[in-house]
Amino acid sequence: MSQRERITPKMKSREVLDFLHSSPGYFLTNNERDVSQSDFKGRIMPHTTLKVAPYRDESGYFAFEISGGASVHVDLLRKQINPFEKLRLIRKAMPNTLLQAVCRGRNLFGYRPYPDNVIRQAVRLFSRYVDVWRVYDFLNHIPNLKVVAEEVQKAGKILMPSICFSTGRGHTDEFYLGKVEEILSTVGEDVILGIKNHSAVGSPARIASLVRALRDSFPGLLLSYHGHNTDGNDLSRMIAAVTEGVKIVEVADHGYGGMFSQAPALSLIQSLHDYGIKSPCLKVHPLVEASDILRRERRLYERFETPYRGFDPTVKRHKLTGGAASMAFEQAEKLGLLERVHEVFDDLSKVNIELGNIWSVTPGSQILWTTAVNNVLHGRYEKPSDDLKRLLLGRYGPFPFYDPQEWIYEKVLEYQRTDGKKWYQILDDEAGIQQLAEENFDAKRQQLERELKRSATEEELCLYVQFPRDALEYFRFEEQFGKTWLLPPDVWFKRGGFEDGTRITLPDYDGKTHYIDLVSTRRSGDVAHTSLLVDYHFQTYSTALRTKKLQP
Amino acid sequence: MFKKILIANRGEIAIRIMRSAQELGIKTVAVYEETDKTAMHIMRADEAFCIGSGPRKDYLNIERIINAAKATGAEAIHPGYGFLAENPNFSKRCTEAGLAFIGPPPEVISAMGSKVIARGIMTDANIPVIAGTPVLPGGDAGKEAALQFAERNGFPIMIKAVAGGGGRGIRAVKDLNELIRGLELARSEARMAFGNDEIYLEKGLPSPRHVEVQILADEYGNVIHLGTRNCSIQRRHQKMVEIAPASLPGLIQEQICQTATEAAKAAHYVNAGTVEFLLDAEERYYFLEVNTRIQVEHTISEMITGIDIVREQIRIASGKALSFSQRDIHFRGYAIEIRINAEDPKTNFMASPGVIQIYQSPGGHGIRLDGAVYQGYEIPRYYDSMLVKLTVYGFTWKEVVDRLRRALDGFGIAGVKTTIPFYKQIVNDPDFIEQRFDTSYIETHPHLLEYQENVPEMEKLASLVAEINALGHNPYAESP
Repeated sequence: MSQRERITPKMKSREVLDFLHSSPGYFLTNNERDVSQSDFKGRIMPHTTLKVAPYRDESGYFAFEISGGASVHVDLLRKQINPFEKLRLIRKAMPNTLLQAVCRGRNLFGYRPYPDNVIRQAVRLFSRYVDVWRVYDFLNHIPNLKVVAEEVQKAGKILMPSICFSTGRGHTDEFYLGKVEEILSTVGEDVILGIKNHSAVGSPARIASLVRALRDSFPGLLLSYHGHNTDGNDLSRMIAAVTEGVKIVEVADHGYGGMFSQAPALSLIQSLHDYGIKSPCLKVHPLVEASDILRRERRLYERFETPYRGFDPTVKRHKLTGGAASMAFEQAEKLGLLERVHEVFDDLSKVNIELGNIWSVTPGSQILWTTAVNNVLHGRYEKPSDDLKRLLLGRYGPFPFYDPQEWIYEKVLEYQRTDGKKWYQILDDEAGIQQLAEENFDAKRQQLERELKRSATEEELCLYVQFPRDALEYFRFEEQFGKTWLLPPDVWFKRGGFEDGTRITLPDYDGKTHYIDLVSTRRSGDVAHTSLLVDYHFQTYSTALRTKKLQP
Repeated sequence: MFKKILIANRGEIAIRIMRSAQELGIKTVAVYEETDKTAMHIMRADEAFCIGSGPRKDYLNIERIINAAKATGAEAIHPGYGFLAENPNFSKRCTEAGLAFIGPPPEVISAMGSKVIARGIMTDANIPVIAGTPVLPGGDAGKEAALQFAERNGFPIMIKAVAGGGGRGIRAVKDLNELIRGLELARSEARMAFGNDEIYLEKGLPSPRHVEVQILADEYGNVIHLGTRNCSIQRRHQKMVEIAPASLPGLIQEQICQTATEAAKAAHYVNAGTVEFLLDAEERYYFLEVNTRIQVEHTISEMITGIDIVREQIRIASGKALSFSQRDIHFRGYAIEIRINAEDPKTNFMASPGVIQIYQSPGGHGIRLDGAVYQGYEIPRYYDSMLVKLTVYGFTWKEVVDRLRRALDGFGIAGVKTTIPFYKQIVNDPDFIEQRFDTSYIETHPHLLEYQENVPEMEKLASLVAEINALGHNPYAESP
């Protein structure tokens, strides 16, 4: 194999798998999606991603994870970009790198199970751009992976079914080997098996043990490792994983220097170099250049970095997934709980154990975190969420190790019941995974087109059935303001208004440069008049100061 | 030659006339109403004269305009089109005041202005006219004459105002009921519009083409033509797209031009004029009317011949003979002219007055703009809504269509709605591209109105920047 060769999106998935099998050493996946979600409240803007794209593309990553997880919803809600358009832009800017998405199995990119036809449509449409699908179920209930897996394979894309990893009671090698066996018998062996260490738990020795066990039991199986650096120890875990035979590990750019997200790529490369292990396709120079740019860009996102900086070895107890950390802090801040967050973490440690020592990853991590927050605010299990009820009812799947204690069932399931049913009756009558009715796409389309007063694309319908309210608001926003991802982050996140004379330079969709110059701002009553030179043409816009939401 | 002329008009045609005059070394005087004081034609003139508070009435006030000419020392008046251009009294009063009128003599304007007299002159000169009636008497006699005409010629029938013209004062009827009801309505409309309620009938041709011939005539009996124009694409009898030449079979082209010069001679025509015809499906043509003024669409004839018609008008009015003969006129290529108006096609072309916030225009080979607006100009609601007249030239039909498309894409106008998106639809329509159009084109192509209006992307983004600035945060990205 020539040193110049690399994996590209032009290769069929079989070719990619063969390439991985036949290549010595290891491969890296850059997980900006998770860096953004874990350390920057999901706010890294496409503008930054596109700025650094040529360097990352040249770096020779196995894949670049930029979609899935919470990002699809955050794209619509906070970044105001169509998640499909984002993928199109990145595909154009990174033509040589596989694009990866993480998918929550039956919960897709959301927090509750979706009907099969919604899942199939989403996977089919996203597969136009997504080459690698990292799929997991937060209860490791393997049947929950089946529909997504079928569609990924139908689309000819690379399937990366993943076992969620954690530690403590029940989390033995034997347990995980059984899960992998179940995965392979469900989806076949032409896959990359992912180890998803979302909570950054387990020592390097524990990871090495698991990888060894997997390699012994499934010698031909390609393995990947996704971890977080919450405790500052993921570099060691990755070294252990690679030395034991993991082929792909997920990293961050050192320019981001994430804490709750992945460990830096270059640190790993330098370390493994001394172990005599190399990555056949990596180029260090563009990787360094990318981080040089990101260091400068990072300042634009300072406001979104987590309020608690530094590593957190106590994650071993509370197990809050890295991906939920920054948003959990944001929620705590909004609830005025930031000063009492240690109490929440203490409760979270208890909740983990009380609720079956399951995996603290979306949507489970949200359920566990919200339960802990509610426990601190309202008393233990005094105000359970609907999602906690669903968890106890087994809507997401069965508890894998042990069931919660009866008093928890009683408090949660009997909360606000008006029919007088006892928790055990409720379990008898209502528990278990529900078969959801298929979505009526025709009706949904008509509904959407009525709202938009125009025809809707299949991609728009796909987003609408997943996030009806937020997708609709986004479509209206897009109609009014256009492609706002073109605005630089320092404009998008600007606070306190612009100084007179500020010049905003930005490219249009076709790459041509435009200028918006702030001339003056005048306030009169509840209206502010902003005068701008738009490409040297004078314009004045009036804004009602009470307007905060997009008007339909 | 004159040393100074006054232009009794406004907007693009006033500026267009000034350009030719200034090239001839003639000083120009603009007139304006107080309500039009920011108009561009004032800026382009050598001097300007306010003729009253307006709106509209002073541009139509003959005496005020003649006084302005006298006061400024102008020797001649060019009426442009519209306003007083085809008012024989204006031409007459100019002459009486010792001012040259840059247009035909009053008696020609008067004769051609009466559609019935014009038809009579043409019939006497053996020029084919559509079957029609004399002026209809009022009351039952008029109804009886109309019924007899309908019995002889069938439907459709056009009820026309004798004093109408330029597509105004025309009503098409399909049956007897509409005819009887239409007679009174047409009389009433004619009275309101022209101060003359005389009407007559013409047989209607099914989906005819509208073809016209530009003519030039001097005081010495020389009459030449500058070829044909196809003005079939009309909305409610108002021309929207004009094309030169009309792409007629060679023999018909020759015959219709010859007929037009004969018609001009028969009418003792002097100066620039247009002889209009209707063509049926068998390429038979019929005299429609003579327009005794410079027309909006004269630019397309200029593009394919290289002749400056207004320059020639001024020369003729100053007593000079035509500066070329028919043999000197050569036709080359195609030209299309469209009127970019501040109108919203989607709301029945309702006028869209307002401030022009952005005005960017196309340029380059084969593109001519006759405009009267500028960035920051507030379009007054009192006058016509034309912003700019776009004329494009191409060596072939395909080239001219491609150039028109490119030119339309080159406009960037914000602040008011315009007819540009509608023209973009036309220029991409297969029937237009294949030259399959007649006077029913707009009616039979309603889908042309089904377009999405695109606010320029930068303008949309700028509106968000303004909102972020005004609110002190981005409400679509985070909470206050």
